[in-house]
Amino acid sequence: MGKEHKVLVTNRGEIAVRIIQACCKLGIKFVAVYTAEDIHSGHVTLAKELGDDKSLYCISSYHDANELLSVADAANATAIHPGYGFFAEDFRFARRVAERNRPLIFLGPSWRVIRELGDKINTKRIARSLNVPTVPGSDKPIYDESEAEKIARTLFEFQIQQGVEKPLVLVKASAGGGGMGIEEIHDIDLFRSVYRRIRNYAMRQFKDDGVLIEQRIKNFNHLEVQILSDRSGKNPVHFGTRNCSIQSTGLQKRIEIAPGFDPSTINYSFNAEKVMNDIIEHSLTLAREVNYDSVGTWEWIVTKEGNPFLMEVNTRIQVENGVSAAISRIHGKKGVDLIAEQIRTGLGEPLGYTQKDITFEGIGIEYRIIAEDTENNFTPWVGDIDNFSYEKTPWLSMHTHLPKMSKDNPYTIPTEFDPNLALGIVWGSNIEEVKSRGKEFLNSLKITGSNGQGENLKSNIPFLYNNTDRILKF
Amino acid sequence: MLDISALLEEIKQRPYTDLSICTPHTGYLEFGAFNEGDKVKDASGEFKEIPGSKLAIITRENNPRFIYATQKGIIQKLHKQYDKNFVEAGVEIGILRHFLSKTEVIHILLQKALFLFSAPERAKYYFAPEIDKKIKISGSRSITVTDGMELFIVSRMKREVPLTYHGPEGIIYEVYFKHNQNIDANMPLIGICPPDQLQNIEDVISRVNHEWKEQ
Repeated sequence: MGKEHKVLVTNRGEIAVRIIQACCKLGIKFVAVYTAEDIHSGHVTLAKELGDDKSLYCISSYHDANELLSVADAANATAIHPGYGFFAEDFRFARRVAERNRPLIFLGPSWRVIRELGDKINTKRIARSLNVPTVPGSDKPIYDESEAEKIARTLFEFQIQQGVEKPLVLVKASAGGGGMGIEEIHDIDLFRSVYRRIRNYAMRQFKDDGVLIEQRIKNFNHLEVQILSDRSGKNPVHFGTRNCSIQSTGLQKRIEIAPGFDPSTINYSFNAEKVMNDIIEHSLTLAREVNYDSVGTWEWIVTKEGNPFLMEVNTRIQVENGVSAAISRIHGKKGVDLIAEQIRTGLGEPLGYTQKDITFEGIGIEYRIIAEDTENNFTPWVGDIDNFSYEKTPWLSMHTHLPKMSKDNPYTIPTEFDPNLALGIVWGSNIEEVKSRGKEFLNSLKITGSNGQGENLKSNIPFLYNNTDRILKF
Repeated sequence: MLDISALLEEIKQRPYTDLSICTPHTGYLEFGAFNEGDKVKDASGEFKEIPGSKLAIITRENNPRFIYATQKGIIQKLHKQYDKNFVEAGVEIGILRHFLSKTEVIHILLQKALFLFSAPERAKYYFAPEIDKKIKISGSRSITVTDGMELFIVSRMKREVPLTYHGPEGIIYEVYFKHNQNIDANMPLIGICPPDQLQNIEDVISRVNHEWKEQ
């Protein structure tokens, strides 16, 4: 399979590094791209190290489809891996890739699947038709202020009828994601001002001022189900659940744990095993319905009472895929690589195993290591990093795009992209061991640097450390 | 007080700037009919609707795009080795020597004469919605800013925070940033002219208009 294919990696940073590594593992050629801001990124260095003279191209933007396809042709690529973000969930791009004069393989779900599930609102409609529970609220983007207010009022009244003491409504940018462009309101009189703020923000950031209005469910856990299927779309399998409840104040994930609950050591007020099985079954039902044919994540919220609601489906590989891989075994073997599986099956190989061949062992924690001020609303910190070091152990895997650096040769964090620095994935045979190892890793992790104002680098390591003890507790 | 004469003399010593002509994106490049030493024109027309001289054409995914001269001047260098080849983004394909116009000289001098309020960090900057509305209707010089006024929205990594103006009271005489463009730290955002300086600024402009001879 490998010899005839060449994968164009249309992404940057840590995910580009992992895709390049997965290609090399599979014996497939690759070509990477970078913009001027990323010239010092580790994915550029790696592409130079592992590739040939047609393995790296400077482009003007990761958002320019014409340019990416032009590079694909110049480098004789046969497939495109979009990573996450950028074009990963853009069905028009996926369709164009597959249907142009010189067709390429889009290493993600087929464009029809992305169109069906990539849109939160359509997903909600399909889920409701299959009796899969979803969050109450609008099932289309709202562009009209009066209509938005009417929905918000209905949701407030609904919650009061349900006995919710402090009803809350979420106002979200429809085109948003990753926790950006979301605000909650507790008083309907504040609705209009919040609505206008989100609408203006959405217009500036996403060029679409559509807004979703949803019930804000407080005190919930955020769970995910990892799905993989080959191109037949007939035999989706799952790689278990993840718990992504430890987030920043802006609702962005910071710690992910697999599996989603640990009923063997923690008491829950509901049957946690059943909830995990239910959301897996619901996710697989939806995957079968649409003939899902790649990796994807079904995102759920689970209330204190153990009621799950499907939030959305991410039709792409996710940042946190590695933590599910860390606890998964195929035919009893460690070293599962979901990105490699996505590439292998995406290029046409059959899955080669079934659900009964997948087993789970231990618990994994993924720490998102970010330069940010966690005590000041998780404000990103930007400046130069001169040291990033940690103790290497067999139970830790680190994914980062940070290059080699020193005081004399620091790495400047680009402001154009998300400020993620690295992902540290820790494995333990049980919850106590994984927590202890997690803290040991964070204690060994050293990141230093400074910015133009002479301010020392701020990172979220203390936040990650302080939250390790509460993982999987509800 | 600015020594306008000295500054003008300094500019006259090197009355041009060498501009690098770079590829805007990847694609197959073909040079136009120009050669080194040729004069080229910049965009013209009331609304700059007539583009400048066509220096090259770059094609990606069957979408041709002309690379026009953005300034008038003389072609100093053309890197012909890229002709009919696939090139990456940001590659220098030539150098254009551009002689400074009156407006550009005024621009240089104003940056020395006005109070410059600069970007505290690399980010995208927007005027606060109310200010933005007024500027769109009546122009930036209709706005008088005061110390402590919430003037900008700073957007970085999709997070937005307000930015307060600190400096003397005055009108926004010049705006140095564009929407959706990243501005580096310490680069000027706006030039403020305090009311008592207005006459001096007008003098600078009038002097350049009289003394500078465009080439």
